[in-house]
Amino acid sequence: MTFIKARNLLKQYRQGAKTINAVDGINLNMNKGEFLAIIGPSGSGKSTLLQLIGGLDRPTKGTIEIDDIEITKISDAKLTTLRRDKMGFIFQNFNLIPTLTAAQNIEAVIAKRSKSDRKKVKEVLKQVGLEERANHLPSLLSGGEQQRVAIARALINEPEIILADEPTGNLDSKTGESIIQILHNLNKRNKKTVILVSHSDYVKKYADQTIEIKDGKIT
Amino acid sequence: MFYLRYLWAELTRRWGKTLTISLGLAMASAIIITIISVSQSLSAAQDKVLNPLQNVGTDIMVSRTVNPEEISTLDDATREEALNDNRITMDFSKLGEPGEQFTNDTLMPGSMLTFASSETEKLDPSLVKMYATGLVLNVVHQEGTIPKLAAEIETGGQRIGFSQTFQMSDADRQAFMNAQQKTMEELRNKGIDPNSEEGQKLMRKSVPNPNSTVSGEIEVPKEVIRQEIGSFSTDVKTENFTLAGVDTSKNDIGLILPDQIVEGRYLEQPGEVVATRAFAQKKNYSLNGTITIGGKEFTLVGIVDPKLYTMSADLYMSLTDAQQLADRDGRVNVLLVKASNADNVKPAGESVAGIFSGVKVTDASETAQQVSGSLVSASSLTDKFIGVTSIIVVLAAFIIVSLLTILSVNKRVREIGTLKAIGWKNHLIIRQIVAENIVIGVIGAVLGIGLALGAIALLNHYDISLSATVAGTDTGFGFARRFLGGEKNDGITTSVQLNVIYTYTVLALGSLIALAASIFAGTLAAIKAAKMKPQEAFRNLE
Repeated sequence: MTFIKARNLLKQYRQGAKTINAVDGINLNMNKGEFLAIIGPSGSGKSTLLQLIGGLDRPTKGTIEIDDIEITKISDAKLTTLRRDKMGFIFQNFNLIPTLTAAQNIEAVIAKRSKSDRKKVKEVLKQVGLEERANHLPSLLSGGEQQRVAIARALINEPEIILADEPTGNLDSKTGESIIQILHNLNKRNKKTVILVSHSDYVKKYADQTIEIKDGKIT
Repeated sequence: MFYLRYLWAELTRRWGKTLTISLGLAMASAIIITIISVSQSLSAAQDKVLNPLQNVGTDIMVSRTVNPEEISTLDDATREEALNDNRITMDFSKLGEPGEQFTNDTLMPGSMLTFASSETEKLDPSLVKMYATGLVLNVVHQEGTIPKLAAEIETGGQRIGFSQTFQMSDADRQAFMNAQQKTMEELRNKGIDPNSEEGQKLMRKSVPNPNSTVSGEIEVPKEVIRQEIGSFSTDVKTENFTLAGVDTSKNDIGLILPDQIVEGRYLEQPGEVVATRAFAQKKNYSLNGTITIGGKEFTLVGIVDPKLYTMSADLYMSLTDAQQLADRDGRVNVLLVKASNADNVKPAGESVAGIFSGVKVTDASETAQQVSGSLVSASSLTDKFIGVTSIIVVLAAFIIVSLLTILSVNKRVREIGTLKAIGWKNHLIIRQIVAENIVIGVIGAVLGIGLALGAIALLNHYDISLSATVAGTDTGFGFARRFLGGEKNDGITTSVQLNVIYTYTVLALGSLIALAASIFAGTLAAIKAAKMKPQEAFRNLE
């Protein structure tokens, strides 16, 4: 059963007089629990594609259906709720709130907070091996630790889809490898649907499906 | 609550930003509070000066002031007083011999004509609650050497002799001869020979031989003729000052009141005077010292700060003393009236005007117009600019704080984008940012009150004083001045201490401005934040 379906996706940006096709006629089918790697050089449009699928941006043309919901047609507010309930994001720059501790960064995602939720925060931190660092500010954590906090944050709402935008881009290869390993485990053990954007070929080995993009088109 | 912890974390961990914006708000708020407080204090000070009558518990002041050009319109009696009082005649010869030292005081009510104090009994008690009388006098004090001002010429003492022969008429001669014949016959009848020696003697006795020649001597009476010399040179110094007789029986109304004594004490018995500080300093008077006026000695018992600027004097004594000095028993020339209530001020004034002729009724609005000086300038300056300045400060505060807030929100582009990406709805983001700014606004308001109180304390510490000049009463000194060359009476200059006071309303207003500016800026920033797209989170900021 197709879980994520993208049809004729077109995303155009205006850059002065020029119109740039960041995503140009991409079709995509993805099943639940699948690991998709989107690979391409920088500026190829892979991040834009991830943003379209994650409902962070709207395509110029084309449709995206997630779990039979056409997300290109629903309101911003509904899209926000959808992101909160179904998706977890992991960014290249970790994007932790600098003034909040590791635990608070994770807590920021929870819609309704209760005691059991706080317990869950501890659980996800444990899952990424950072329960000791719960009360540290991001500035006191290493890059790898920050990204693991970001992963924990992406997991707290138990999303079905995890979208990771070059999560290893700012990490050394060993740490990067461990992050990919975590994502791989989430995919295999927790049956999460994972979409990973990377410019490195080595992630292919973890992926069920790989698409390579150049100039907004699948090559 | 997560939102509160996030708020706390944001404010404390970005304390630099919190402090900068708070201080900006605090400064604006402090400036507004200070400006308004200063302005309010100025107008309070001004009210005090502009309504000098109120300072002495008075609604209206009654005097009989006559301008020189109006003299011809007066009735005879009044005109006579007006003219006499404006004429100073000095007979130096009565003061002593030329070359001797002299002092002389001339006391004149001037063009402020007097009226009998008994006239006050005509005041309508239903309109007048209280009243007090006073006698304001101009004193021309002169001292120096008596000049040689007259030439003395001694005349007379000559002796004049004279002699004159008279011719007898025929009838006289006949009568004489008849008388001789008659006497000779009488003598013969007595047996005396008229030609004898005894007979001749008796003849001369009864019929004296008329002398035809009269002679004598006259002495011209001795006399000293004094001739006035048109101009004379002298070292005579003339000083003018004003002296007021005060109704000491009244403590709530009067030219001066006991509570205006700043040093020493109030007038208690005859023979005492109080002086204004300026006059005491100018004349080097010391407390309990002796002052001689019009040949009488007075003791300076106190220094007074008179509040009735339009009718102020240099020296004050009891009304009785002043009346005696000026030889005006039972006469006064100022009447201060307190109406029975505010509505009766006008009728009371009209009623008083009907009692005395040539009366001049002055109320608060008229005295206000006579005030000028730095206090008035400062006050009108603040009146003019307070609005503009406040608006500029408020606008500047709004702009600066908005810019700072938007700038700080711009720095959080990725943070806000991330929050949106992970599912924060717009209203949550707006709420968060507005809440942050409310707290910053409250901090700014509190700091602002602190700064303002500090600024006000500082202003008060530096004892800023403003002057108010009140045009002096024209008591007809014009004449005297012209003749005697005395100094010009410029009116009284009162120095008013700028005592900045604040009200809770003004503090609240200043705080509200800080809060409003912060909420305004926060809302602008929040709207901007809400417009940010979640994909901002992906933007690589390096």
